[in-house]
Amino acid sequence: MNIGVPRGLLYSKYHVFAETFLEEIGAKIVVSPATNKLILDEGVRYCVDDACLPMKVFHGHVSWLKDRCDAMLVPRFIGIKEKEYICPMFCGSIEMVSNNIPQLPCLIDTPICSTQNYKLSQWAKKTGSVLTKDENKIMAALDKALQRHGNSKTGFNDEGYPLKIGLIGHAYNIYDKFINMDLKKKLNGLGIGIITSEYINGADIADEAGKLFKKPFWTFAQEYYGAAVCIIKTKKADGIIYLSSFSCGIDSVVIELIKSETGDFPFMVLKLDEHTGEAGFDTRIEAFADMLKRRCGIGHNLS
Amino acid sequence: MVITFPNMGNVALAMQTLCQSLKIPYVLPGRNNKATLQIGSYYSPEEICLPFKLVLGNFIQSIEKGADTLLITGSCGPCRFGEYCELLMKILSKLGYNNLDFIVADLSSEIGIKEFMRRMSRISAASPISRSDKIKALYTAFKVVELCDKIDAMAYHLAGYETNKGECKQVLNEYKTKAFECKNPEEMMRLLDFYKKYFENISTNNNKDPLKISIIGEIFTIIEPFSNFYIEEKLMDYGVSTRRTLSPSWWVKNLILKPIKMDSKDINRAAGEYMPYAVGGHGRECVGEAVLAKGYGMDGAIQIYPLGCMPEVIAKSILPAIQRDKDFPIMTLIVDEVAGEAGYITRVEAFLDMLQSKKRHLKVQEPLVSRPVTVRCLGNHN
Ligand code: SF4
Ligand code: SF4
Repeated sequence: MNIGVPRGLLYSKYHVFAETFLEEIGAKIVVSPATNKLILDEGVRYCVDDACLPMKVFHGHVSWLKDRCDAMLVPRFIGIKEKEYICPMFCGSIEMVSNNIPQLPCLIDTPICSTQNYKLSQWAKKTGSVLTKDENKIMAALDKALQRHGNSKTGFNDEGYPLKIGLIGHAYNIYDKFINMDLKKKLNGLGIGIITSEYINGADIADEAGKLFKKPFWTFAQEYYGAAVCIIKTKKADGIIYLSSFSCGIDSVVIELIKSETGDFPFMVLKLDEHTGEAGFDTRIEAFADMLKRRCGIGHNLS
Repeated sequence: MVITFPNMGNVALAMQTLCQSLKIPYVLPGRNNKATLQIGSYYSPEEICLPFKLVLGNFIQSIEKGADTLLITGSCGPCRFGEYCELLMKILSKLGYNNLDFIVADLSSEIGIKEFMRRMSRISAASPISRSDKIKALYTAFKVVELCDKIDAMAYHLAGYETNKGECKQVLNEYKTKAFECKNPEEMMRLLDFYKKYFENISTNNNKDPLKISIIGEIFTIIEPFSNFYIEEKLMDYGVSTRRTLSPSWWVKNLILKPIKMDSKDINRAAGEYMPYAVGGHGRECVGEAVLAKGYGMDGAIQIYPLGCMPEVIAKSILPAIQRDKDFPIMTLIVDEVAGEAGYITRVEAFLDMLQSKKRHLKVQEPLVSRPVTVRCLGNHN
């Protein structure tokens, strides 16, 4: 049985887990290709127009897969920590694709709530039952998937560049080279290395988020806010770029929270949508790079 | 302590009564208007949703009038509403308003009953009246909002049947203006009783068969008339009878019933088939209401939400399916601060025309297929 896995939303964070699990229970996996123009256009066509870009991209991936697999794994991420959420859009992503895109194959949309182990096993049993009746096999697959997931590491921490910036934002914006026009390469080309929130100490992040009047109930919002504030306080980097997308409700809040902590620390927000032009994007990055160089006295003999 | 609160439809009237009976000084937020919105959006983060901008505008205006204690309700996810308080604190302190006291009424089930009581005790402590009177005051305030919601609902419904054209709307506005002028709870209750009776006895023509429309969508936007261009009143002008389930009193009841999972059972059940899991905000209620509307005898529904409202964007994806399955026309209106009235009125009119002809066709047993209508109002404020 061919199981489709859309390369959208949290794919970059959880693909090791999902793919290992599916392979172990005997599925053949079809993953949609890296985002490209075609996928983006399909997504824009199917998705309601006021949704955020990542949701549109996700629609594109699902649409690419629909005729190429027998079933599709579209996990419904409710939360990955107790009493926390990811984003309202995640809770409803399945309803969106299933209503917006016609002729979808069967969707494996069991809610995944990795807050407790037993909930995760429930998810595994339900998902696995599509392919096998053998519960031991499913549990073994889950163990292996969790183990591999634990060993996998995402994130960047570049060394050896004269300047360094913290690149903060949703994984699906940071790791999708098509959507962000390969921002990493552009920055590296300008002599700027990047560090992402995965390389900031988790305890420090939680510490900073805990100082707010109300700890944000969005898991990733805590991570981004905490990481940004850590970078500002410890000067781990020379500046911060927040990579966001238009119509992202979570970012509208997080960016404002970070802004109230930046002081004169260099901070720039880059927003993406399907109309973002590369030229304007480049100009902004270059201007930011110039500003950083001036501040740090690099390549400037005047100061 | 001079307390203030955001202006959300009839909530303001209930809060006014509450402060009066508790004998706490308060600043009444004025009716929302363009100035409120301008101030609010000027200081708001980019791309935050409309309710936030209005709440911020209200607070700044009230602080200027002397308020120093801001009361706001919260929630703990998954939507942005729960983050409003944090943002408000940061923005207002950045603006130099430093001696403000925030009372954040989060759900007691989320922050614990103890913390909830601690926060509320700050209001209670400022009131000189006895404990039993305080409880009575709370009860009266709830009665006020319940009565107001009831009167509003009657007015919106009866507008389709009135014999004297325009009477419902005129009386509705008259009672709202008078209510804001009430000096004490007794006066308020007398006034509301009077107008309730008035609408009960208003002269109607029951042979009329007006268009009936459900108003669904994001709760703040549909209960605060300024944020939806007074759509219900406009529809009254067209002789349309409207119905809206979501109201401040519904919200309060829902909150009380939530911990025992008895909240909006019928709506959730109706939404279940299309939206099995809650998505935050009132996205699920929107879907449930759309499913139920036909059974209420409605001819169509209008979904209203502020630009970028996440739960409603999800609901919007689902509405076409309901429209198809139930042969029930639904129109979506998205509002934001650059939205102008002119553009949307023509679309609402077109929608009404479509409903009207569908109704005529139905009478002669000829089904007419309706297509999804979505409008986005853009343009300049006039
Ligand atoms: S967090 Fe933002 S970008 Fe991600 S799904 Fe939600 S609204 Fe879209
Ligand atoms: S439900 Fe909509 S309007 Fe309300 S906080 Fe969420 S996004 Fe904003």
